[in-house]
Amino acid sequence: MLRLITLNVFVELVCFVVSVVCLNKDRSWPWHGMSLFLLLTCITEMLGVHFKLLYLADRAHARPNIWLYNGLLIFQALFITYVFERFINRYVRIRPVMIIGLLILATSYGYELYNHGIFIYNEITNTLMLITFVLYSLYYYYLLLKDENYINLNRSPEFWWVAGILFFYFGSTATNVFFDYLYPYHSPDVRYLSKTIFRGLNILLYGCWCYSFICKKWALQISEA
Amino acid sequence: MGVADIRSLVLIATAIFLIAPVFLLAYVLFYNSRKKKHIEEKAQMKQAFETELIKAQAEVQEQTLQTIGADLHDNIGQLLSLISLNLNSIELTEDIAKAQKKIEASASLTLESIKELRLLGKLLHGDQLVINGLAASIEQLVLWISKADRFKVEYHVHGEAEEKNTAKDLIIFRIVQETVNNIVKHADASEIVIELTFLTDMVAVKISDNGVGFDVNSITANNKGMGLHNIYKRAMMAGGRAEIRSVPGSGSYVNIFVPYQ
Repeated sequence: MLRLITLNVFVELVCFVVSVVCLNKDRSWPWHGMSLFLLLTCITEMLGVHFKLLYLADRAHARPNIWLYNGLLIFQALFITYVFERFINRYVRIRPVMIIGLLILATSYGYELYNHGIFIYNEITNTLMLITFVLYSLYYYYLLLKDENYINLNRSPEFWWVAGILFFYFGSTATNVFFDYLYPYHSPDVRYLSKTIFRGLNILLYGCWCYSFICKKWALQISEA
Repeated sequence: MGVADIRSLVLIATAIFLIAPVFLLAYVLFYNSRKKKHIEEKAQMKQAFETELIKAQAEVQEQTLQTIGADLHDNIGQLLSLISLNLNSIELTEDIAKAQKKIEASASLTLESIKELRLLGKLLHGDQLVINGLAASIEQLVLWISKADRFKVEYHVHGEAEEKNTAKDLIIFRIVQETVNNIVKHADASEIVIELTFLTDMVAVKISDNGVGFDVNSITANNKGMGLHNIYKRAMMAGGRAEIRSVPGSGSYVNIFVPYQ
């Protein structure tokens, strides 16, 4: 079991535990669904490690774990879009735009599946998702700036949740774009660097999310008091 | 392109793509803290305006009570004394025609007293004076000054308020009251002109007199003119401004402009 706990899985598990501790009393959506989403992510990551080990042990018979991450893409797209819809909906009605965004992602996903099957990663969908989430994050901050009401952002769960998304998806742009472009030149060194960058981005993402859950707990305590 | 170059390229690009959100978040946080400061300042200004409003209300009441006190003493008191004298001087044995004349004079004086008391009654609603609108409250003030026959008072109203703003009305009325009070006390004037103009989103009041005038700069510089200072301050509190112009020997002009919505 311990061999399944990589650094990424460990960070995700910590975030999952924090979400359970901080949000167990919170029945409001989308916060109520955070733990479930993180549990799904942890299970996928651990299964991913498991399938990777099987594949590395027997490349002739086992399949790479890519299909798992292709499956996770669907949940990521749906859940993160839903969370953004809840956050942005406080300022403007964004649902129609988000439905269009999801339709574009679904089309791209279907196209990629049709083209190369489930065992090759849906790179185009991932890139489109990256762009979509970065745009949603920027729009959320724009609305926050425009809002006349003051919010204590240092303790705003929404602000830090979106910050995590922005750091992860915007920060991974370079690696995604350049890494694929430079694929012919890949060396173990470059691959290691890419992995290290993703580990760092994961820590940033889940670090921000952990703080966001803690802020949510504080907010709940204040409203209860 | 060597491996080292690729590594550097990916590293630098990632750093840039990470620094950009850091700057964005820092900007949002900084802007938000400025927003907080701005909201606090607005709340402070609102608080100051409300304090000033209460002060102006108290001053209007005080001024009204002073006027009432003086009027009771000088006018109604005198009228009632006359009535008392008249009635006391009637002797039942005297000529009926003579007694009737005295009674008629007393009745006339009583009616005069009732009229005076009615006017006082209206003034007693000092704090509610502005409820009928700024134009009506200034008219009441003009009526009161004109009664003394010491001044020729002209009062003109141009346009009308689309919506009433009782808080601003009270502040403006207090400025007018204070200005008129200053003219009555210090200007030695015989004519006062008050012009009230309602513009689309602004109220302008012009008060002028033909009195002895004064040196605005020296009074302001020597901090003597608390009344002048109050006029400036109150106009500013209401979000507007006041202009005071005067030359010794040729009267004074006070212009007040207050945004009015």
